[in-house]
Amino acid sequence: MKEYVMAVVAAVSLAQYGCSTVNTVEPSQQAAQRQILADKRITTDGRLYGRVRPIGVNTAVVPAGMLKIQIEVRNLTRSLQPFAYHIEWFDANGIIVNTPTSAWVDREIQGGETLSITGIAPTGDAKDFRIKFISR
Amino acid sequence: MKMTLCKCLLIMICPFLWSGCATAPHVVEGPGKLTTMEIDTQDFAAKADEMIQSMLDSPIFEKAAHKPAILVVGRIVNNTGRNFDMDLLIKKIRVALNKGGKAITDITGGALNNPDFTLSGKIIENRSREGNTHQSAYTFQLSLSNSQGLAVWEDEKEITKQGTRASVGF
Repeated sequence: MKEYVMAVVAAVSLAQYGCSTVNTVEPSQQAAQRQILADKRITTDGRLYGRVRPIGVNTAVVPAGMLKIQIEVRNLTRSLQPFAYHIEWFDANGIIVNTPTSAWVDREIQGGETLSITGIAPTGDAKDFRIKFISR
Repeated sequence: MKMTLCKCLLIMICPFLWSGCATAPHVVEGPGKLTTMEIDTQDFAAKADEMIQSMLDSPIFEKAAHKPAILVVGRIVNNTGRNFDMDLLIKKIRVALNKGGKAITDITGGALNNPDFTLSGKIIENRSREGNTHQSAYTFQLSLSNSQGLAVWEDEKEITKQGTRASVGF
């Protein structure tokens, strides 16, 4: 009986640890005006999409003339979710722009959290992009 | 008879099971690379990319006297307990800036040209442990200074890795 109680206590504490979520506060009327792009999504991992979901993409141009993108991602669950993402850049002809710094980036997102992923095109020739997500 | 058949089947299955456990060497691209407690190649690529983004997000290259800006690589200190080639980070930054047309590197160290910027930096490691959990935090610090020795761009990026005693191997 004692062992059973201890097991329940351990399970409850583990469950509480795994379910810490993020509370967020931001201005109700935001000063920044974001240009949210219409995006096309191809979902092959429904489990990941049900947990970590891109909710919007907006773009800008940096002083050096390169395209800058920001993707907002939200954790729809109450637990920490590890994932990885990769940004690919394409020139005006749709040809991929390869760089030595192109890599999958591991991230973690807390339960209920919204995080922003930013990327700046490696060259001024890059006009388009594709973002890939994978679960970890 | 039945027993003999069973033995035969077992003998036939065993080699398949054995070969199924072994992994032949293969090229790994994408997200399947190993993550260790040390700085991996994908970490260098990710941090180099973040540093380049930070440089491009500032107007320093637009203000340089030369277009593209001339860069020399100064002192890059490895202040970690690991031994690695700093070009795993610096070369990636050099190549990306070169390909992007924003900066070219003077490999003579500024002897033949009047460089706009000197790139210098440090990688710092901070290890900690709580119970069976080990943590290694690596801090990447980079600066671009102009000919007057003024740091016109600086940034710091961190990567923290955690693993349990069994997974990190010590």
